[in-house]
Amino acid sequence: MFSLDTTLLAQMETPWAIILPVIVIGLSLVWLLPRGGKGLSRLSQILALALIWGSLFSLTGLGHIAVTDVLFGVFSTGAILGGICMITSRNSAYSALWFAIVTLSVCGLFLLRSAPFLSAATVIVYAGAIIVTFLFVLMLAQQEGTAGYDATSSSPLLTTVFGMVLFGSLILGISSWPKISISAASPATSAAGTEVAKAPAAQGHRYFTSAETEQANAWSRHPEGEVGSLHGLGRSLFGDYLFAVEFAGTLLLVACIGAIAMAPRRSQGTL
Amino acid sequence: MTELDKYLIVGAALFVLGAIGFLTRRNLIVMMLSAEMMLHGVGINLVAFNYEHQHNQGQSFTIMILTVAACEAGLALVLILSLYKRRKTLDVDVWGELGEAKPLCDVRLERRATVVEPQEEEFSVDPRLTPAGRLPQFNKQESVTRV
Repeated sequence: MFSLDTTLLAQMETPWAIILPVIVIGLSLVWLLPRGGKGLSRLSQILALALIWGSLFSLTGLGHIAVTDVLFGVFSTGAILGGICMITSRNSAYSALWFAIVTLSVCGLFLLRSAPFLSAATVIVYAGAIIVTFLFVLMLAQQEGTAGYDATSSSPLLTTVFGMVLFGSLILGISSWPKISISAASPATSAAGTEVAKAPAAQGHRYFTSAETEQANAWSRHPEGEVGSLHGLGRSLFGDYLFAVEFAGTLLLVACIGAIAMAPRRSQGTL
Repeated sequence: MTELDKYLIVGAALFVLGAIGFLTRRNLIVMMLSAEMMLHGVGINLVAFNYEHQHNQGQSFTIMILTVAACEAGLALVLILSLYKRRKTLDVDVWGELGEAKPLCDVRLERRATVVEPQEEEFSVDPRLTPAGRLPQFNKQESVTRV
Protein backbone atom coordinates (compact mmCIF):
# COMPACT_ATOMS: atom_id res chain seq x y z
CA MET A 1 0.00 0.00 0.00
CA PHE A 2 1.33 3.36 -0.92
CA SER A 3 0.95 5.98 1.73
CA LEU A 4 -0.67 9.31 1.11
CA ASP A 5 1.23 11.05 3.90
CA THR A 6 4.21 12.39 2.00
CA THR A 7 2.58 14.71 -0.44
CA LEU A 8 5.42 14.85 -2.92
CA LEU A 9 5.60 11.08 -3.19
CA ALA A 10 1.86 10.89 -3.54
CA GLN A 11 1.88 13.46 -6.28
CA MET A 12 4.66 11.63 -8.05
CA GLU A 13 3.29 8.12 -7.76
CA THR A 14 -0.46 8.29 -7.67
CA PRO A 15 -1.24 9.18 -11.31
CA TRP A 16 0.92 6.41 -12.77
CA ALA A 17 -0.28 3.94 -10.18
CA ILE A 18 -3.74 4.66 -11.56
CA ILE A 19 -3.03 5.29 -15.23
CA LEU A 20 -0.91 2.20 -15.91
CA PRO A 21 -3.39 -0.38 -14.55
CA VAL A 22 -6.24 1.43 -16.31
CA ILE A 23 -4.37 1.25 -19.64
CA VAL A 24 -3.63 -2.43 -19.09
CA ILE A 25 -7.29 -3.11 -18.31
CA GLY A 26 -8.37 -1.23 -21.42
CA LEU A 27 -5.98 -3.10 -23.71
CA SER A 28 -7.07 -6.43 -22.29
CA LEU A 29 -10.71 -5.49 -22.80
CA VAL A 30 -10.05 -4.57 -26.43
CA TRP A 31 -8.29 -7.89 -26.82
CA LEU A 32 -11.25 -9.75 -25.34
CA LEU A 33 -14.14 -8.03 -27.13
CA PRO A 34 -15.48 -9.86 -30.19
CA ARG A 35 -14.21 -8.50 -33.49
CA GLY A 36 -15.37 -11.05 -36.00
CA GLY A 37 -13.55 -14.14 -37.05
CA LYS A 38 -12.71 -16.87 -34.62
CA GLY A 39 -12.75 -16.15 -30.93
CA LEU A 40 -9.71 -16.08 -28.70
CA SER A 41 -8.27 -19.31 -27.46
CA ARG A 42 -8.87 -20.33 -23.87
CA LEU A 43 -5.27 -19.62 -22.88
CA SER A 44 -5.28 -16.04 -24.14
CA GLN A 45 -8.64 -15.43 -22.49
CA ILE A 46 -7.22 -16.57 -19.16
CA LEU A 47 -4.12 -14.45 -19.74
CA ALA A 48 -6.19 -11.32 -20.41
CA LEU A 49 -8.38 -11.95 -17.37
CA ALA A 50 -5.27 -12.42 -15.24
CA LEU A 51 -3.89 -9.13 -16.52
CA ILE A 52 -7.12 -7.34 -15.60
CA TRP A 53 -7.23 -9.04 -12.21
CA GLY A 54 -3.64 -8.10 -11.42
CA SER A 55 -4.24 -4.50 -12.43
CA LEU A 56 -7.32 -4.28 -10.26
CA PHE A 57 -5.39 -5.88 -7.39
CA SER A 58 -2.71 -3.25 -7.70
CA LEU A 59 -5.41 -0.58 -7.83
CA THR A 60 -7.18 -1.69 -4.69
CA GLY A 61 -3.88 -2.36 -2.94
CA LEU A 62 -4.89 -5.07 -0.50
CA GLY A 63 -2.42 -4.91 2.33
CA HIS A 64 -2.77 -6.95 5.47
CA ILE A 65 -4.90 -10.05 5.13
CA ALA A 66 -8.00 -10.46 7.23
CA VAL A 67 -11.08 -12.61 6.75
CA THR A 68 -13.17 -9.73 5.52
CA ASP A 69 -10.36 -8.80 3.16
CA VAL A 70 -10.31 -12.32 1.75
CA LEU A 71 -14.07 -12.30 1.36
CA PHE A 72 -13.94 -8.88 -0.22
CA GLY A 73 -11.28 -10.14 -2.62
CA VAL A 74 -13.35 -13.16 -3.58
CA PHE A 75 -16.56 -11.22 -4.09
CA SER A 76 -15.04 -8.26 -5.88
CA THR A 77 -13.02 -10.55 -8.15
CA GLY A 78 -16.16 -12.52 -8.89
CA ALA A 79 -18.13 -9.38 -9.62
CA ILE A 80 -15.57 -7.75 -11.90
CA LEU A 81 -14.40 -10.86 -13.74
CA GLY A 82 -18.01 -11.98 -14.12
CA GLY A 83 -18.82 -8.59 -15.57
CA ILE A 84 -15.94 -8.78 -18.02
CA CYS A 85 -16.94 -12.28 -19.08
CA MET A 86 -20.51 -11.07 -19.45
CA ILE A 87 -19.74 -8.27 -21.86
CA THR A 88 -17.18 -10.28 -23.81
CA SER A 89 -19.05 -13.55 -24.10
CA ARG A 90 -19.98 -14.53 -27.63
CA ASN A 91 -22.98 -16.52 -26.52
CA SER A 92 -25.73 -14.36 -25.10
CA ALA A 93 -27.12 -17.14 -22.89
CA TYR A 94 -23.71 -17.37 -21.25
CA SER A 95 -23.85 -13.60 -20.81
CA ALA A 96 -27.02 -13.97 -18.78
CA LEU A 97 -25.42 -16.69 -16.66
CA TRP A 98 -22.34 -14.55 -16.05
CA PHE A 99 -24.67 -11.80 -14.97
CA ALA A 100 -26.02 -14.19 -12.36
CA ILE A 101 -22.44 -14.58 -11.06
CA VAL A 102 -22.12 -10.79 -10.93
CA THR A 103 -25.37 -10.54 -9.00
CA LEU A 104 -24.36 -13.16 -6.46
CA SER A 105 -20.98 -11.49 -5.93
CA VAL A 106 -22.64 -8.11 -5.48
CA CYS A 107 -24.92 -9.68 -2.89
CA GLY A 108 -21.83 -10.95 -1.09
CA LEU A 109 -20.47 -7.41 -1.06
CA PHE A 110 -23.81 -6.22 0.33
CA LEU A 111 -23.49 -8.78 3.12
CA LEU A 112 -19.99 -7.55 3.94
CA ARG A 113 -21.39 -4.02 4.27
CA SER A 114 -24.04 -5.29 6.72
CA ALA A 115 -27.03 -5.26 4.38
CA PRO A 116 -28.51 -8.76 4.77
CA PHE A 117 -32.07 -7.89 3.81
CA LEU A 118 -30.93 -6.05 0.73
CA SER A 119 -28.72 -8.97 -0.24
CA ALA A 120 -31.60 -11.43 0.01
CA ALA A 121 -33.93 -9.09 -1.87
CA THR A 122 -31.38 -8.64 -4.64
CA VAL A 123 -30.92 -12.40 -5.01
CA ILE A 124 -34.67 -12.88 -5.21
CA VAL A 125 -35.40 -10.04 -7.60
CA TYR A 126 -32.39 -10.29 -9.89
CA ALA A 127 -31.35 -13.91 -9.91
CA GLY A 128 -34.84 -15.19 -9.32
CA ALA A 129 -36.91 -12.98 -11.57
CA ILE A 130 -34.96 -10.78 -13.94
CA ILE A 131 -32.33 -13.23 -15.18
CA VAL A 132 -34.90 -15.98 -15.58
CA THR A 133 -37.18 -13.81 -17.71
CA PHE A 134 -34.25 -12.54 -19.75
CA LEU A 135 -33.14 -16.12 -20.39
CA PHE A 136 -36.70 -17.03 -21.27
CA VAL A 137 -36.93 -14.31 -23.92
CA LEU A 138 -33.45 -15.14 -25.15
CA MET A 139 -34.26 -18.78 -25.67
CA LEU A 140 -37.57 -17.86 -27.26
CA ALA A 141 -35.99 -15.48 -29.75
CA GLN A 142 -32.63 -17.09 -30.41
CA GLN A 143 -33.27 -20.76 -30.68
CA GLU A 144 -30.44 -21.47 -33.09
CA GLY A 145 -27.79 -20.50 -30.56
CA THR A 146 -25.05 -18.02 -31.31
CA ALA A 147 -26.07 -15.38 -33.82
CA GLY A 148 -23.86 -13.40 -36.14
CA TYR A 149 -24.40 -10.10 -34.38
CA ASP A 150 -23.11 -11.58 -31.12
CA ALA A 151 -19.74 -12.33 -32.72
CA THR A 152 -19.03 -8.69 -33.57
CA SER A 153 -19.28 -5.61 -31.43
CA SER A 154 -19.82 -2.09 -32.63
CA SER A 155 -16.71 0.14 -32.33
CA PRO A 156 -14.98 -1.68 -29.45
CA LEU A 157 -11.84 0.46 -29.45
CA LEU A 158 -13.55 3.83 -29.16
CA THR A 159 -15.97 2.66 -26.50
CA THR A 160 -13.27 1.06 -24.41
CA VAL A 161 -11.20 4.23 -24.55
CA PHE A 162 -14.27 6.14 -23.38
CA GLY A 163 -14.90 3.65 -20.60
CA MET A 164 -11.31 3.66 -19.40
CA VAL A 165 -11.20 7.45 -19.36
CA LEU A 166 -14.36 7.40 -17.25
CA PHE A 167 -12.92 4.71 -14.97
CA GLY A 168 -9.62 6.50 -14.52
CA SER A 169 -11.26 9.79 -13.70
CA LEU A 170 -13.61 8.09 -11.24
CA ILE A 171 -10.69 6.43 -9.48
CA LEU A 172 -8.75 9.67 -9.48
CA GLY A 173 -11.72 11.37 -7.87
CA ILE A 174 -12.14 8.59 -5.31
CA SER A 175 -8.50 8.57 -4.32
CA SER A 176 -8.16 12.34 -4.10
CA TRP A 177 -11.41 12.92 -2.27
CA PRO A 178 -10.39 12.01 1.33
CA LYS A 179 -7.28 14.16 1.05
CA ILE A 180 -9.41 17.19 0.22
CA SER A 181 -11.90 16.61 3.00
CA ILE A 182 -9.20 15.84 5.56
CA SER A 183 -7.50 19.10 4.83
CA ALA A 184 -10.84 20.90 5.02
CA ALA A 185 -12.18 19.21 8.15
CA SER A 186 -10.63 18.92 11.55
CA PRO A 187 -7.77 16.39 11.92
CA ALA A 188 -9.65 14.38 14.55
CA THR A 189 -12.19 13.23 11.97
CA SER A 190 -9.64 11.66 9.64
CA ALA A 191 -9.97 8.22 11.16
CA ALA A 192 -10.35 5.03 9.19
CA GLY A 193 -13.74 3.46 8.53
CA THR A 194 -13.63 1.11 11.48
CA GLU A 195 -13.32 3.82 14.05
CA VAL A 196 -16.07 5.78 12.41
CA ALA A 197 -18.20 2.67 12.49
CA LYS A 198 -17.72 2.30 16.23
CA ALA A 199 -18.76 5.75 17.29
CA PRO A 200 -20.17 7.66 14.36
CA ALA A 201 -22.29 10.17 16.22
CA ALA A 202 -19.74 10.99 18.87
CA GLN A 203 -16.75 11.38 16.62
CA GLY A 204 -18.30 13.19 13.73
CA HIS A 205 -17.54 12.18 10.20
CA ARG A 206 -15.11 12.71 7.41
CA TYR A 207 -17.62 13.90 4.86
CA PHE A 208 -20.41 15.44 6.88
CA THR A 209 -20.53 16.94 10.29
CA SER A 210 -22.58 14.99 12.78
CA ALA A 211 -25.11 17.79 13.15
CA GLU A 212 -26.02 17.58 9.48
CA THR A 213 -26.59 13.84 9.55
CA GLU A 214 -28.53 14.11 12.78
CA GLN A 215 -30.89 16.64 11.30
CA ALA A 216 -31.53 15.03 7.95
CA ASN A 217 -33.82 12.00 7.94
CA ALA A 218 -33.88 11.21 11.61
CA TRP A 219 -35.90 8.02 11.16
CA SER A 220 -33.15 6.49 9.05
CA ARG A 221 -30.68 6.67 11.91
CA HIS A 222 -31.00 3.58 14.03
CA PRO A 223 -30.98 4.44 17.73
CA GLU A 224 -28.67 1.60 18.71
CA GLY A 225 -26.35 2.37 15.83
CA GLU A 226 -27.02 -1.03 14.33
CA VAL A 227 -27.21 -0.45 10.63
CA GLY A 228 -28.89 -2.63 8.04
CA SER A 229 -31.13 -4.59 10.35
CA LEU A 230 -34.69 -5.20 9.27
CA HIS A 231 -35.91 -3.00 12.08
CA GLY A 232 -33.78 -0.06 11.06
CA LEU A 233 -34.53 -0.49 7.37
CA GLY A 234 -38.26 -0.62 8.07
CA ARG A 235 -38.06 2.52 10.16
CA SER A 236 -36.21 4.25 7.36
CA LEU A 237 -38.52 3.07 4.58
CA PHE A 238 -41.82 3.68 6.34
CA GLY A 239 -40.69 6.71 8.31
CA ASP A 240 -38.61 8.96 6.12
CA TYR A 241 -39.41 7.49 2.74
CA LEU A 242 -43.08 6.64 3.06
CA PHE A 243 -44.08 8.70 0.03
CA ALA A 244 -41.26 7.18 -1.97
CA VAL A 245 -42.46 3.70 -1.03
CA GLU A 246 -46.00 4.55 -2.10
CA PHE A 247 -44.68 6.02 -5.31
CA ALA A 248 -42.58 2.91 -5.96
CA GLY A 249 -45.67 0.77 -5.50
CA THR A 250 -47.55 2.94 -7.99
CA LEU A 251 -44.63 2.68 -10.38
CA LEU A 252 -44.72 -1.11 -10.18
CA LEU A 253 -48.45 -1.06 -10.89
CA VAL A 254 -48.04 1.26 -13.87
CA ALA A 255 -45.19 -0.84 -15.24
CA CYS A 256 -47.27 -3.99 -14.84
CA ILE A 257 -50.24 -2.47 -16.69
CA GLY A 258 -47.94 -1.10 -19.37
CA ALA A 259 -46.24 -4.43 -19.88
CA ILE A 260 -49.59 -6.18 -20.28
CA ALA A 261 -50.86 -3.48 -22.65
CA MET A 262 -47.77 -3.51 -24.85
CA ALA A 263 -47.21 -7.23 -24.98
CA PRO A 264 -47.89 -8.91 -28.33
CA ARG A 265 -51.43 -10.25 -28.42
CA ARG A 266 -52.14 -13.85 -29.09
CA SER A 267 -54.65 -12.85 -31.76
CA GLN A 268 -51.89 -11.00 -33.63
CA GLY A 269 -49.88 -14.18 -33.81
CA THR A 270 -47.26 -15.48 -31.47
CA LEU A 271 -43.54 -15.32 -31.95
CA MET B 1 -6.84 3.36 0.57
CA THR B 2 -9.64 2.89 3.04
CA GLU B 3 -12.37 0.26 3.13
CA LEU B 4 -14.80 2.68 1.54
CA ASP B 5 -12.49 3.34 -1.39
CA LYS B 6 -12.27 -0.34 -2.26
CA TYR B 7 -16.02 -0.64 -2.50
CA LEU B 8 -16.24 2.57 -4.48
CA ILE B 9 -13.65 1.23 -6.93
CA VAL B 10 -15.56 -2.02 -7.37
CA GLY B 11 -18.74 -0.03 -7.93
CA ALA B 12 -17.00 2.20 -10.45
CA ALA B 13 -15.58 -0.85 -12.26
CA LEU B 14 -19.00 -2.46 -12.52
CA PHE B 15 -20.52 0.79 -13.76
CA VAL B 16 -17.86 1.27 -16.42
CA LEU B 17 -18.06 -2.36 -17.55
CA GLY B 18 -21.81 -2.02 -17.85
CA ALA B 19 -21.42 1.17 -19.88
CA ILE B 20 -18.93 -0.49 -22.22
CA GLY B 21 -21.18 -3.48 -22.65
CA PHE B 22 -24.20 -1.30 -23.32
CA LEU B 23 -22.38 0.65 -25.99
CA THR B 24 -20.55 -2.17 -27.73
CA ARG B 25 -22.80 -5.20 -27.70
CA ARG B 26 -25.38 -5.52 -30.44
CA ASN B 27 -27.74 -7.99 -28.81
CA LEU B 28 -30.72 -6.20 -27.27
CA ILE B 29 -30.87 -8.51 -24.26
CA VAL B 30 -27.16 -8.25 -23.51
CA MET B 31 -27.54 -4.47 -23.66
CA MET B 32 -30.30 -4.60 -21.07
CA LEU B 33 -28.18 -6.90 -18.87
CA SER B 34 -25.34 -4.37 -19.09
CA ALA B 35 -27.71 -1.63 -17.95
CA GLU B 36 -28.63 -3.79 -14.97
CA MET B 37 -24.95 -4.18 -14.20
CA MET B 38 -24.58 -0.40 -14.13
CA LEU B 39 -27.37 -0.35 -11.55
CA HIS B 40 -25.41 -2.91 -9.51
CA GLY B 41 -22.43 -0.58 -9.47
CA VAL B 42 -24.58 2.27 -8.19
CA GLY B 43 -26.06 -0.04 -5.55
CA ILE B 44 -22.61 -0.98 -4.26
CA ASN B 45 -21.78 2.70 -3.95
CA LEU B 46 -24.93 3.41 -1.99
CA VAL B 47 -24.48 0.47 0.36
CA ALA B 48 -20.84 1.35 1.01
CA PHE B 49 -21.78 4.90 1.94
CA ASN B 50 -24.63 3.55 4.01
CA TYR B 51 -22.17 1.57 6.11
CA GLU B 52 -19.78 4.47 6.27
CA HIS B 53 -22.40 6.86 7.59
CA GLN B 54 -24.13 4.29 9.83
CA HIS B 55 -27.40 5.53 8.45
CA ASN B 56 -30.09 3.56 6.66
CA GLN B 57 -30.63 5.96 3.80
CA GLY B 58 -28.38 4.13 1.38
CA GLN B 59 -30.17 0.85 1.75
CA SER B 60 -33.53 2.55 1.28
CA PHE B 61 -32.25 4.09 -1.92
CA THR B 62 -30.97 0.72 -3.09
CA ILE B 63 -34.40 -0.79 -2.52
CA MET B 64 -35.85 1.98 -4.69
CA ILE B 65 -33.25 1.11 -7.35
CA LEU B 66 -34.33 -2.52 -7.09
CA THR B 67 -37.95 -1.52 -7.69
CA VAL B 68 -37.11 0.64 -10.67
CA ALA B 69 -34.87 -2.11 -12.07
CA ALA B 70 -37.72 -4.60 -11.86
CA CYS B 71 -40.07 -2.19 -13.70
CA GLU B 72 -37.40 -1.45 -16.26
CA ALA B 73 -36.69 -5.11 -16.91
CA GLY B 74 -40.36 -5.89 -17.44
CA LEU B 75 -40.99 -3.01 -19.82
CA ALA B 76 -37.72 -3.64 -21.66
CA LEU B 77 -38.61 -7.26 -22.24
CA VAL B 78 -42.01 -6.29 -23.64
CA LEU B 79 -40.40 -3.75 -25.97
CA ILE B 80 -37.76 -6.27 -27.05
CA LEU B 81 -40.46 -8.83 -27.77
CA SER B 82 -42.47 -6.43 -29.89
CA LEU B 83 -39.32 -5.36 -31.75
CA TYR B 84 -38.44 -8.99 -32.32
CA LYS B 85 -41.92 -9.65 -33.68
CA ARG B 86 -41.38 -7.07 -36.45
CA ARG B 87 -37.98 -8.06 -37.78
CA LYS B 88 -37.32 -11.49 -36.28
CA THR B 89 -33.91 -10.59 -34.91
CA LEU B 90 -32.42 -9.28 -31.69
CA ASP B 91 -29.79 -7.25 -33.54
CA VAL B 92 -29.95 -3.59 -32.56
CA ASP B 93 -28.33 -2.41 -35.79
CA VAL B 94 -31.47 -3.37 -37.68
CA TRP B 95 -33.18 -0.46 -35.95
CA GLY B 96 -30.50 2.02 -36.96
CA GLU B 97 -32.85 3.99 -39.19
CA LEU B 98 -36.10 4.81 -37.54
CA GLY B 99 -37.87 6.26 -40.58
CA GLU B 100 -39.36 4.48 -43.56
CA ALA B 101 -37.36 2.14 -45.71
CA LYS B 102 -36.39 4.64 -48.46
CA PRO B 103 -36.89 8.23 -47.33
CA LEU B 104 -37.22 10.93 -50.02
CA CYS B 105 -35.04 13.41 -48.22
CA ASP B 106 -32.64 14.21 -51.05
CA VAL B 107 -33.46 17.65 -52.46
CA ARG B 108 -31.48 17.13 -55.62
CA LEU B 109 -33.47 14.03 -56.49
CA GLU B 110 -36.75 15.92 -56.11
CA ARG B 111 -35.52 18.84 -58.24
CA ARG B 112 -34.35 16.50 -60.96
CA ALA B 113 -37.71 14.77 -60.88
CA THR B 114 -39.53 18.09 -61.43
CA VAL B 115 -37.23 19.39 -64.16
CA VAL B 116 -36.79 16.34 -66.37
CA GLU B 117 -39.74 15.73 -68.68
CA PRO B 118 -40.87 12.15 -68.94
CA GLN B 119 -39.96 10.64 -72.30
CA GLU B 120 -43.14 9.47 -73.93
CA GLU B 121 -41.66 6.78 -76.10
CA GLU B 122 -44.36 4.26 -75.47
CA PHE B 123 -47.23 6.51 -76.51
CA SER B 124 -45.52 8.37 -79.35
CA VAL B 125 -47.73 6.64 -81.92
CA ASP B 126 -50.84 8.08 -80.39
CA PRO B 127 -52.16 11.54 -81.23
CA ARG B 128 -51.26 14.10 -78.57
CA LEU B 129 -54.46 14.99 -76.86
CA THR B 130 -55.08 16.42 -73.46
CA PRO B 131 -55.69 13.47 -71.18
CA ALA B 132 -59.27 13.25 -70.01
CA GLY B 133 -59.98 10.42 -67.68
CA ARG B 134 -57.87 7.36 -67.49
CA LEU B 135 -55.89 6.04 -70.41
CA PRO B 136 -57.49 3.18 -72.32
CA GLN B 137 -55.87 -0.17 -71.89
CA PHE B 138 -54.23 -1.47 -75.04
CA ASN B 139 -51.08 -3.27 -75.94
CA LYS B 140 -48.40 -1.81 -78.12
CA GLN B 141 -48.39 -4.24 -81.04
CA GLU B 142 -52.05 -3.67 -81.87
CA SER B 143 -51.57 0.06 -82.04
CA VAL B 144 -48.53 -0.30 -84.27
CA THR B 145 -50.44 -2.52 -86.71
CA ARG B 146 -53.32 -0.05 -86.71
CA VAL B 147 -51.08 2.73 -87.89
